Amino acid sequence: MANHPEEILIDARWLEPPEPMEKVLHTLALLHSGQTIRLLLHREPFPLYLILREKGYAHETMPQPDGSYVILIRRVSAE
Amino acid sequence: MNSQPGLSFEQAPPFHQPLRFFLTAPLFLLVAGVLLAMESGGLNSRWSAGALALTHALTLGFLAMVMLGALMQILPVVAGSTLPASRTVAMVSHAALTLGTTFLMTGFLRSSPVALGSGIVLLLTGFMVFIAAATISLMRVAGSDTVRGMRHALASLALTVLLGGLLALIRAGWENPPMIEGASTAHAGFGLLGWILLLVAGVAYQVVPMFQITPPYPLLLRRWLTGVLFVLLLLRALVPLHAAPAVFVIDACLAAGMLMFAFVTLRLQSQRRRKLPDITLDYWRTGMTSLIACVAVWLPAQCWPAWAKSDARPLLLGVLFLYGFAASVVTGMLYKIVPFLAWFHLQAQHQAKAGTIPNMKQMITERKMRLQFRVHLAALLLLVAAVAWPNVLHIHAGIAVALSSLLLLSNMFAALRLYLKHGGRMS
Repeated sequence: MANHPEEILIDARWLEPPEPMEKVLHTLALLHSGQTIRLLLHREPFPLYLILREKGYAHETMPQPDGSYVILIRRVSAE
Repeated sequence: MNSQPGLSFEQAPPFHQPLRFFLTAPLFLLVAGVLLAMESGGLNSRWSAGALALTHALTLGFLAMVMLGALMQILPVVAGSTLPASRTVAMVSHAALTLGTTFLMTGFLRSSPVALGSGIVLLLTGFMVFIAAATISLMRVAGSDTVRGMRHALASLALTVLLGGLLALIRAGWENPPMIEGASTAHAGFGLLGWILLLVAGVAYQVVPMFQITPPYPLLLRRWLTGVLFVLLLLRALVPLHAAPAVFVIDACLAAGMLMFAFVTLRLQSQRRRKLPDITLDYWRTGMTSLIACVAVWLPAQCWPAWAKSDARPLLLGVLFLYGFAASVVTGMLYKIVPFLAWFHLQAQHQAKAGTIPNMKQMITERKMRLQFRVHLAALLLLVAAVAWPNVLHIHAGIAVALSSLLLLSNMFAALRLYLKHGGRMS
Protein backbone atom coordinates (compact mmCIF):
# COMPACT_ATOMS: atom_id res chain seq x y z
CA MET A 1 0.00 0.00 0.00
CA ALA A 2 2.73 2.47 -0.92
CA ASN A 3 0.47 4.50 -3.22
CA HIS A 4 -1.59 7.09 -1.39
CA PRO A 5 -4.01 9.40 -3.16
CA GLU A 6 -2.61 12.92 -3.52
CA GLU A 7 -5.63 14.44 -1.85
CA ILE A 8 -7.84 13.50 1.07
CA LEU A 9 -11.28 15.07 0.77
CA ILE A 10 -13.09 16.25 3.91
CA ASP A 11 -16.59 17.52 3.26
CA ALA A 12 -17.40 19.30 6.52
CA ARG A 13 -20.12 21.55 5.14
CA TRP A 14 -23.07 22.02 7.51
CA LEU A 15 -21.40 20.34 10.46
CA GLU A 16 -21.68 22.04 13.84
CA PRO A 17 -18.46 23.64 15.16
CA PRO A 18 -16.03 22.33 16.18
CA GLU A 19 -16.72 19.09 14.26
CA PRO A 20 -15.05 20.33 11.05
CA MET A 21 -11.92 21.20 13.03
CA GLU A 22 -12.00 17.83 14.83
CA LYS A 23 -12.23 16.01 11.47
CA VAL A 24 -9.25 17.97 10.11
CA LEU A 25 -7.16 17.30 13.24
CA HIS A 26 -8.01 13.57 13.02
CA THR A 27 -6.94 13.51 9.39
CA LEU A 28 -3.70 15.45 9.95
CA ALA A 29 -2.45 12.52 12.01
CA LEU A 30 -2.99 10.22 9.00
CA LEU A 31 -1.44 12.53 6.40
CA HIS A 32 1.51 11.12 4.46
CA SER A 33 4.24 13.28 3.03
CA GLY A 34 3.18 14.98 -0.19
CA GLN A 35 -0.50 14.49 0.58
CA THR A 36 -2.95 17.37 0.76
CA ILE A 37 -6.26 17.73 2.59
CA ARG A 38 -9.04 19.34 0.55
CA LEU A 39 -11.50 20.71 3.11
CA LEU A 40 -14.96 21.82 1.97
CA LEU A 41 -16.64 24.18 4.43
CA HIS A 42 -19.65 26.51 4.47
CA ARG A 43 -17.69 29.29 6.22
CA GLU A 44 -14.11 30.49 6.62
CA PRO A 45 -12.46 28.68 9.58
CA PHE A 46 -10.25 31.38 11.14
CA PRO A 47 -9.56 29.42 14.38
CA LEU A 48 -8.41 26.41 12.34
CA TYR A 49 -5.75 28.56 10.65
CA LEU A 50 -4.20 29.29 14.04
CA ILE A 51 -3.98 25.63 14.98
CA LEU A 52 -2.63 24.65 11.55
CA ARG A 53 0.12 27.24 11.77
CA GLU A 54 0.92 26.11 15.33
CA LYS A 55 1.25 22.50 14.18
CA GLY A 56 3.38 23.32 11.11
CA TYR A 57 0.83 23.09 8.29
CA ALA A 58 0.23 25.56 5.47
CA HIS A 59 -3.19 26.30 4.03
CA GLU A 60 -4.63 27.93 0.96
CA THR A 61 -8.20 29.24 1.01
CA MET A 62 -10.36 29.54 -2.09
CA PRO A 63 -13.76 31.20 -1.70
CA GLN A 64 -16.37 29.57 -3.93
CA PRO A 65 -19.12 31.31 -5.93
CA ASP A 66 -21.80 29.62 -3.80
CA GLY A 67 -20.40 31.29 -0.64
CA SER A 68 -18.61 28.16 0.62
CA TYR A 69 -14.83 27.67 0.89
CA VAL A 70 -12.27 25.15 -0.31
CA ILE A 71 -9.18 24.99 1.93
CA LEU A 72 -6.09 23.05 0.86
CA ILE A 73 -3.89 21.92 3.76
CA ARG A 74 -0.38 20.47 3.50
CA ARG A 75 2.59 19.99 5.79
CA VAL A 76 5.20 22.73 5.56
CA SER A 77 8.27 20.96 4.17
CA ALA A 78 11.38 21.22 6.37
CA GLU A 79 14.03 22.85 4.20
CA MET B 1 -7.51 33.04 -3.18
CA ASN B 2 -5.78 33.78 0.05
CA SER B 3 -3.25 31.88 2.09
CA GLN B 4 -1.90 32.41 5.58
CA PRO B 5 -3.74 35.57 6.68
CA GLY B 6 -1.76 37.74 9.10
CA LEU B 7 -2.97 36.14 12.28
CA SER B 8 -0.91 33.79 14.41
CA PHE B 9 -1.75 31.79 17.49
CA GLU B 10 0.37 34.15 19.60
CA GLN B 11 -1.91 37.01 18.54
CA ALA B 12 -5.12 35.17 19.48
CA PRO B 13 -6.32 36.21 22.94
CA PRO B 14 -5.14 33.78 25.65
CA PHE B 15 -7.95 31.97 27.50
CA HIS B 16 -7.69 34.10 30.63
CA GLN B 17 -8.50 37.31 28.73
CA PRO B 18 -12.16 36.65 27.88
CA LEU B 19 -12.56 34.24 30.81
CA ARG B 20 -12.05 36.93 33.44
CA PHE B 21 -15.03 38.80 31.95
CA PHE B 22 -17.14 35.63 31.83
CA LEU B 23 -16.39 34.67 35.45
CA THR B 24 -17.02 38.18 36.81
CA ALA B 25 -20.35 38.69 35.02
CA PRO B 26 -22.44 36.14 36.99
CA LEU B 27 -21.28 37.79 40.24
CA PHE B 28 -23.11 41.00 39.26
CA LEU B 29 -26.20 38.94 38.45
CA LEU B 30 -25.87 37.45 41.92
CA VAL B 31 -25.64 40.93 43.45
CA ALA B 32 -28.73 41.98 41.46
CA GLY B 33 -30.64 38.95 42.76
CA VAL B 34 -29.62 39.61 46.37
CA LEU B 35 -30.54 43.32 46.10
CA LEU B 36 -33.93 42.43 44.67
CA ALA B 37 -34.60 39.84 47.36
CA MET B 38 -33.65 42.32 50.10
CA GLU B 39 -36.03 45.09 49.07
CA SER B 40 -38.93 45.58 46.69
CA GLY B 41 -37.87 49.15 45.77
CA GLY B 42 -36.22 47.93 42.58
CA LEU B 43 -39.61 46.97 41.18
CA ASN B 44 -41.70 49.88 42.43
CA SER B 45 -40.52 52.64 40.11
CA ARG B 46 -37.91 52.76 37.35
CA TRP B 47 -36.43 55.95 38.86
CA SER B 48 -35.93 54.57 42.37
CA ALA B 49 -32.34 54.15 43.55
CA GLY B 50 -32.93 50.39 43.84
CA ALA B 51 -34.19 50.14 40.25
CA LEU B 52 -31.23 52.15 38.88
CA ALA B 53 -28.73 50.02 40.83
CA LEU B 54 -30.41 46.80 39.66
CA THR B 55 -30.61 47.95 36.04
CA HIS B 56 -26.91 48.83 35.94
CA ALA B 57 -25.86 45.62 37.72
CA LEU B 58 -27.58 43.84 34.85
CA THR B 59 -26.60 46.11 31.93
CA LEU B 60 -23.00 46.89 32.93
CA GLY B 61 -22.02 44.18 35.38
CA PHE B 62 -23.54 41.23 33.55
CA LEU B 63 -24.41 42.10 29.94
CA ALA B 64 -21.62 44.54 28.98
CA MET B 65 -19.11 42.39 30.90
CA VAL B 66 -19.91 39.31 28.81
CA MET B 67 -20.34 41.29 25.59
CA LEU B 68 -16.91 42.95 25.84
CA GLY B 69 -15.22 39.62 26.64
CA ALA B 70 -17.08 37.92 23.81
CA LEU B 71 -16.30 40.68 21.30
CA MET B 72 -12.62 40.36 22.15
CA GLN B 73 -12.87 36.70 21.25
CA ILE B 74 -15.34 36.83 18.39
CA LEU B 75 -13.47 39.46 16.34
CA PRO B 76 -10.59 37.09 15.48
CA VAL B 77 -13.02 34.21 14.77
CA VAL B 78 -15.51 35.95 12.51
CA ALA B 79 -13.40 38.75 11.09
CA GLY B 80 -9.81 37.50 11.41
CA SER B 81 -8.78 40.66 13.29
CA THR B 82 -7.58 40.94 16.89
CA LEU B 83 -7.78 43.96 19.20
CA PRO B 84 -4.56 46.01 19.24
CA ALA B 85 -2.72 45.71 22.60
CA SER B 86 -5.38 43.17 23.58
CA ARG B 87 -3.77 42.26 26.94
CA THR B 88 -3.72 45.86 28.15
CA VAL B 89 -7.18 46.57 26.76
CA ALA B 90 -8.60 43.45 28.48
CA MET B 91 -6.95 44.30 31.78
CA VAL B 92 -7.94 47.99 31.83
CA SER B 93 -11.51 47.53 30.55
CA HIS B 94 -12.20 44.58 32.88
CA ALA B 95 -10.88 46.35 35.98
CA ALA B 96 -12.62 49.64 35.09
CA LEU B 97 -15.93 47.95 34.32
CA THR B 98 -15.86 45.88 37.53
CA LEU B 99 -14.90 48.75 39.83
CA GLY B 100 -16.89 51.37 37.91
CA THR B 101 -20.12 49.35 38.09
CA THR B 102 -19.60 48.70 41.81
CA PHE B 103 -19.06 52.43 42.49
CA LEU B 104 -22.00 53.45 40.31
CA MET B 105 -24.34 51.03 42.11
CA THR B 106 -23.07 52.25 45.49
CA GLY B 107 -23.60 55.83 44.30
CA PHE B 108 -27.23 55.10 43.43
CA LEU B 109 -28.01 53.15 46.60
CA ARG B 110 -26.26 55.50 49.06
CA SER B 111 -26.97 58.72 47.08
CA SER B 112 -23.24 59.37 47.21
CA PRO B 113 -21.94 61.94 44.68
CA VAL B 114 -18.35 60.76 45.29
CA ALA B 115 -19.19 57.13 44.48
CA LEU B 116 -21.23 58.18 41.42
CA GLY B 117 -18.41 60.42 40.16
CA SER B 118 -15.76 57.73 40.69
CA GLY B 119 -17.96 55.18 38.95
CA ILE B 120 -18.42 57.45 35.96
CA VAL B 121 -14.70 58.23 35.60
CA LEU B 122 -13.86 54.51 35.73
CA LEU B 123 -16.62 53.48 33.34
CA LEU B 124 -15.79 56.23 30.84
CA THR B 125 -12.11 55.20 30.93
CA GLY B 126 -12.80 51.48 30.55
CA PHE B 127 -15.34 51.82 27.77
CA MET B 128 -13.36 54.39 25.81
CA VAL B 129 -10.22 52.22 25.90
CA PHE B 130 -12.25 49.26 24.67
CA ILE B 131 -14.18 51.22 22.03
CA ALA B 132 -10.97 52.76 20.64
CA ALA B 133 -9.28 49.35 20.36
CA ALA B 134 -12.36 47.68 18.84
CA THR B 135 -12.75 50.57 16.35
CA ILE B 136 -9.15 50.12 15.17
CA SER B 137 -9.71 46.37 14.87
CA LEU B 138 -12.94 46.84 12.91
CA MET B 139 -11.33 49.39 10.57
CA ARG B 140 -8.79 46.76 9.48
CA VAL B 141 -11.40 44.32 8.17
CA ALA B 142 -13.74 44.30 5.19
CA GLY B 143 -17.25 45.51 6.00
CA SER B 144 -19.26 42.29 6.28
CA ASP B 145 -22.83 42.40 7.62
CA THR B 146 -21.59 41.29 11.04
CA VAL B 147 -18.83 43.91 11.06
CA ARG B 148 -21.38 46.61 10.13
CA GLY B 149 -23.62 45.48 13.01
CA MET B 150 -20.66 45.64 15.38
CA ARG B 151 -19.73 49.16 14.20
CA HIS B 152 -23.30 50.40 14.78
CA ALA B 153 -23.37 48.70 18.18
CA LEU B 154 -20.04 50.27 19.21
CA ALA B 155 -21.17 53.75 18.10
CA SER B 156 -24.33 53.24 20.16
CA LEU B 157 -22.23 52.14 23.14
CA ALA B 158 -20.11 55.29 22.92
CA LEU B 159 -23.27 57.48 22.87
CA THR B 160 -24.82 55.48 25.75
CA VAL B 161 -21.72 55.91 27.90
CA LEU B 162 -21.42 59.66 27.20
CA LEU B 163 -25.11 60.26 27.91
CA GLY B 164 -24.87 58.05 31.01
CA GLY B 165 -21.94 60.12 32.25
CA LEU B 166 -23.95 63.30 31.81
CA LEU B 167 -26.96 61.83 33.64
CA ALA B 168 -24.84 60.58 36.53
CA LEU B 169 -23.17 63.98 36.93
CA ILE B 170 -26.60 65.59 37.10
CA ARG B 171 -27.67 63.06 39.73
CA ALA B 172 -24.45 63.76 41.63
CA GLY B 173 -25.50 67.39 41.98
CA TRP B 174 -24.61 69.19 38.79
CA GLU B 175 -27.09 71.74 37.51
CA ASN B 176 -30.06 70.16 35.80
CA PRO B 177 -29.91 71.25 32.14
CA PRO B 178 -32.95 71.42 29.83
CA MET B 179 -33.65 68.29 27.77
CA ILE B 180 -32.78 66.03 30.70
CA GLU B 181 -35.72 63.75 29.93
CA GLY B 182 -34.56 63.49 26.32
CA ALA B 183 -31.02 62.59 27.44
CA SER B 184 -32.32 59.84 29.68
CA THR B 185 -34.58 58.41 26.93
CA ALA B 186 -31.69 58.53 24.45
CA HIS B 187 -29.35 56.87 27.00
CA ALA B 188 -31.77 53.95 27.38
CA GLY B 189 -32.52 53.84 23.62
CA PHE B 190 -28.88 53.69 22.51
CA GLY B 191 -28.00 51.29 25.34
CA LEU B 192 -30.80 48.79 24.83
CA LEU B 193 -31.81 49.02 21.17
CA GLY B 194 -28.41 50.24 19.93
CA TRP B 195 -25.61 48.53 21.82
CA ILE B 196 -27.44 45.35 22.87
CA LEU B 197 -29.90 44.68 20.03
CA LEU B 198 -27.59 45.72 17.18
CA LEU B 199 -24.68 43.68 18.55
CA VAL B 200 -26.92 40.64 19.04
CA ALA B 201 -28.24 41.07 15.47
CA GLY B 202 -24.75 41.49 13.96
CA VAL B 203 -23.43 38.46 15.84
CA ALA B 204 -26.61 36.46 15.07
CA TYR B 205 -25.91 36.73 11.31
CA GLN B 206 -22.81 34.60 11.99
CA VAL B 207 -23.58 32.43 14.99
CA VAL B 208 -27.17 31.35 14.28
CA PRO B 209 -26.30 29.76 10.89
CA MET B 210 -22.92 28.57 12.30
CA PHE B 211 -24.04 26.82 15.49
CA GLN B 212 -27.60 25.88 14.65
CA ILE B 213 -26.87 25.01 10.99
CA THR B 214 -29.72 27.11 9.64
CA PRO B 215 -30.06 28.87 6.27
CA PRO B 216 -28.45 32.35 6.29
CA TYR B 217 -30.43 35.45 7.30
CA PRO B 218 -32.10 37.09 4.27
CA LEU B 219 -29.64 39.33 2.43
CA LEU B 220 -31.78 42.48 2.64
CA LEU B 221 -32.21 42.13 6.39
CA ARG B 222 -28.48 41.52 6.92
CA ARG B 223 -27.56 44.50 4.79
CA TRP B 224 -30.01 47.06 6.14
CA LEU B 225 -31.43 46.20 9.55
CA THR B 226 -28.70 47.44 11.90
CA GLY B 227 -28.02 50.60 9.84
CA VAL B 228 -31.70 51.56 9.61
CA LEU B 229 -32.25 50.92 13.33
CA PHE B 230 -29.18 53.01 14.18
CA VAL B 231 -30.44 55.95 12.06
CA LEU B 232 -33.88 55.62 13.69
CA LEU B 233 -32.24 55.80 17.12
CA LEU B 234 -30.35 58.95 16.09
CA LEU B 235 -33.59 60.51 14.83
CA ARG B 236 -35.40 59.47 18.01
CA ALA B 237 -32.73 61.25 20.06
CA LEU B 238 -32.99 64.43 17.97
CA VAL B 239 -36.78 64.72 17.69
CA PRO B 240 -38.28 66.68 20.61
CA LEU B 241 -40.25 64.39 22.93
CA HIS B 242 -43.40 66.53 22.64
CA ALA B 243 -43.56 65.95 18.86
CA ALA B 244 -45.85 63.01 19.52
CA PRO B 245 -46.68 61.92 15.94
CA ALA B 246 -43.00 61.83 14.91
CA VAL B 247 -42.05 59.96 18.09
CA PHE B 248 -44.81 57.44 17.46
CA VAL B 249 -43.73 56.83 13.85
CA ILE B 250 -40.07 56.32 14.86
CA ASP B 251 -41.01 54.04 17.75
CA ALA B 252 -43.29 52.02 15.48
CA CYS B 253 -40.44 51.58 12.96
CA LEU B 254 -38.06 50.50 15.77
CA ALA B 255 -40.68 48.02 17.02
CA ALA B 256 -41.15 46.69 13.47
CA GLY B 257 -37.38 46.16 13.18
CA MET B 258 -37.31 44.27 16.48
CA LEU B 259 -40.23 42.08 15.41
CA MET B 260 -38.66 41.39 12.03
CA PHE B 261 -35.36 40.29 13.61
CA ALA B 262 -37.11 38.11 16.22
CA PHE B 263 -39.50 36.41 13.79
CA VAL B 264 -36.82 35.80 11.13
CA THR B 265 -34.51 34.28 13.78
CA LEU B 266 -37.28 31.99 15.07
CA ARG B 267 -38.17 30.94 11.50
CA LEU B 268 -34.52 30.18 10.63
CA GLN B 269 -34.11 28.17 13.82
CA SER B 270 -37.18 26.12 12.93
CA GLN B 271 -35.42 25.26 9.62
CA ARG B 272 -32.18 24.02 11.23
CA ARG B 273 -30.61 20.98 9.61
CA ARG B 274 -29.98 19.13 12.87
CA LYS B 275 -32.90 18.72 15.21
CA LEU B 276 -30.86 17.72 18.29
CA PRO B 277 -31.64 19.40 21.66
CA ASP B 278 -29.42 22.42 22.19
CA ILE B 279 -29.41 24.66 25.25
CA THR B 280 -28.20 27.69 23.27
CA LEU B 281 -31.15 27.27 20.90
CA ASP B 282 -33.56 27.22 23.87
CA TYR B 283 -31.95 30.36 25.25
CA TRP B 284 -32.23 32.13 21.88
CA ARG B 285 -35.88 31.14 21.53
CA THR B 286 -36.58 32.52 25.01
CA GLY B 287 -34.77 35.71 23.99
CA MET B 288 -36.67 36.17 20.73
CA THR B 289 -40.03 35.44 22.41
CA SER B 290 -39.20 38.08 25.05
CA LEU B 291 -38.35 40.58 22.31
CA ILE B 292 -41.75 39.98 20.71
CA ALA B 293 -43.37 40.32 24.17
CA CYS B 294 -41.66 43.74 24.54
CA VAL B 295 -43.53 45.01 21.48
CA ALA B 296 -46.74 43.48 22.81
CA VAL B 297 -46.27 45.47 26.05
CA TRP B 298 -45.33 48.71 24.22
CA LEU B 299 -48.15 48.68 21.65
CA PRO B 300 -51.25 49.03 23.93
CA ALA B 301 -49.67 52.13 25.53
CA GLN B 302 -50.17 53.97 22.23
CA CYS B 303 -53.97 53.89 22.55
CA TRP B 304 -54.43 53.35 26.30
CA PRO B 305 -53.12 56.37 28.25
CA ALA B 306 -53.50 54.70 31.65
CA TRP B 307 -51.08 51.95 30.59
CA ALA B 308 -48.73 54.52 29.03
CA LYS B 309 -48.48 56.36 32.37
CA SER B 310 -48.32 53.23 34.52
CA ASP B 311 -45.13 52.62 36.53
CA ALA B 312 -45.42 48.92 35.70
CA ARG B 313 -45.03 49.39 31.91
CA PRO B 314 -41.36 50.55 31.79
CA LEU B 315 -40.46 48.02 34.48
CA LEU B 316 -42.10 45.19 32.56
CA LEU B 317 -40.33 46.33 29.37
CA GLY B 318 -37.04 46.40 31.29
CA VAL B 319 -37.54 42.90 32.69
CA LEU B 320 -38.54 41.46 29.31
CA PHE B 321 -35.77 43.20 27.35
CA LEU B 322 -32.89 42.92 29.80
CA TYR B 323 -33.56 39.60 31.49
CA GLY B 324 -35.86 37.88 28.97
CA PHE B 325 -34.07 38.90 25.78
CA ALA B 326 -30.52 40.10 26.48
CA ALA B 327 -29.55 37.93 29.48
CA SER B 328 -31.03 34.85 27.77
CA VAL B 329 -29.12 35.36 24.50
CA VAL B 330 -25.90 36.24 26.34
CA THR B 331 -26.13 33.17 28.62
CA GLY B 332 -26.88 30.96 25.62
CA MET B 333 -23.78 32.30 23.89
CA LEU B 334 -21.63 31.72 26.99
CA TYR B 335 -22.54 28.03 26.73
CA LYS B 336 -21.00 27.93 23.25
CA ILE B 337 -18.05 30.28 23.78
CA VAL B 338 -16.59 28.94 27.05
CA PRO B 339 -16.62 25.20 26.11
CA PHE B 340 -15.24 26.05 22.66
CA LEU B 341 -12.40 28.14 24.06
CA ALA B 342 -11.49 25.51 26.67
CA TRP B 343 -11.39 22.83 23.96
CA PHE B 344 -9.60 25.06 21.44
CA HIS B 345 -6.81 26.16 23.78
CA LEU B 346 -6.24 22.60 25.03
CA GLN B 347 -6.05 21.43 21.43
CA ALA B 348 -3.57 24.13 20.47
CA GLN B 349 -1.41 23.92 23.58
CA HIS B 350 -0.98 20.17 23.64
CA GLN B 351 -0.74 19.26 19.99
CA ALA B 352 -3.37 16.86 21.28
CA LYS B 353 -4.21 13.69 19.44
CA ALA B 354 -7.91 12.92 19.01
CA GLY B 355 -9.41 11.33 22.13
CA THR B 356 -6.79 12.55 24.60
CA ILE B 357 -8.69 15.69 25.57
CA PRO B 358 -12.39 16.13 26.31
CA ASN B 359 -14.50 17.24 23.37
CA MET B 360 -16.45 20.49 23.46
CA LYS B 361 -19.71 18.90 24.55
CA GLN B 362 -18.04 17.33 27.60
CA MET B 363 -16.79 20.67 28.96
CA ILE B 364 -20.15 21.48 30.61
CA THR B 365 -22.66 18.64 30.82
CA GLU B 366 -26.04 19.09 29.15
CA ARG B 367 -27.79 18.17 32.44
CA LYS B 368 -26.13 21.03 34.33
CA MET B 369 -26.85 23.58 31.60
CA ARG B 370 -30.48 22.39 31.38
CA LEU B 371 -30.94 22.82 35.15
CA GLN B 372 -29.55 26.36 35.00
CA PHE B 373 -31.81 27.17 32.02
CA ARG B 374 -34.89 26.02 33.95
CA VAL B 375 -33.98 28.19 36.94
CA HIS B 376 -33.37 31.14 34.57
CA LEU B 377 -36.84 30.62 33.04
CA ALA B 378 -38.42 30.44 36.51
CA ALA B 379 -36.59 33.65 37.45
CA LEU B 380 -37.91 35.38 34.30
CA LEU B 381 -41.50 34.36 35.03
CA LEU B 382 -41.16 35.43 38.69
CA LEU B 383 -39.69 38.79 37.62
CA VAL B 384 -42.62 39.40 35.26
CA ALA B 385 -45.09 38.49 38.03
CA ALA B 386 -43.14 40.60 40.55
CA VAL B 387 -43.71 43.72 38.41
CA ALA B 388 -47.43 43.28 39.20
CA TRP B 389 -46.94 42.25 42.86
CA PRO B 390 -43.52 43.61 43.87
CA ASN B 391 -44.13 43.52 47.62
CA VAL B 392 -45.16 39.86 47.53
CA LEU B 393 -42.86 38.39 44.91
CA HIS B 394 -39.60 40.39 45.00
CA ILE B 395 -38.03 37.87 47.40
CA HIS B 396 -38.90 34.87 45.23
CA ALA B 397 -37.74 36.61 42.04
CA GLY B 398 -34.50 37.78 43.68
CA ILE B 399 -33.69 34.32 45.02
CA ALA B 400 -34.37 32.75 41.61
CA VAL B 401 -32.07 35.28 39.86
CA ALA B 402 -29.35 34.67 42.47
CA LEU B 403 -29.68 30.89 42.16
CA SER B 404 -29.55 31.05 38.37
CA SER B 405 -26.36 33.17 38.53
CA LEU B 406 -24.72 30.73 40.98
CA LEU B 407 -25.52 27.78 38.71
CA LEU B 408 -24.15 29.70 35.72
CA LEU B 409 -20.95 30.46 37.62
CA SER B 410 -20.62 26.84 38.72
CA ASN B 411 -21.04 25.72 35.08
CA MET B 412 -18.31 28.11 33.91
CA PHE B 413 -16.03 26.75 36.65
CA ALA B 414 -16.83 23.16 35.58
CA ALA B 415 -15.35 23.93 32.14
CA LEU B 416 -12.36 25.67 33.73
CA ARG B 417 -11.72 22.72 36.10
CA LEU B 418 -11.73 20.25 33.20
CA TYR B 419 -9.42 22.55 31.24
CA LEU B 420 -6.92 22.77 34.10
CA LYS B 421 -7.22 19.05 34.86
CA HIS B 422 -6.03 18.29 31.33
CA GLY B 423 -3.04 20.56 31.74
CA GLY B 424 -4.47 23.71 30.15
CA ARG B 425 -2.43 26.85 30.79
CA MET B 426 -3.97 30.22 31.59
CA SER B 427 -1.54 32.37 29.61
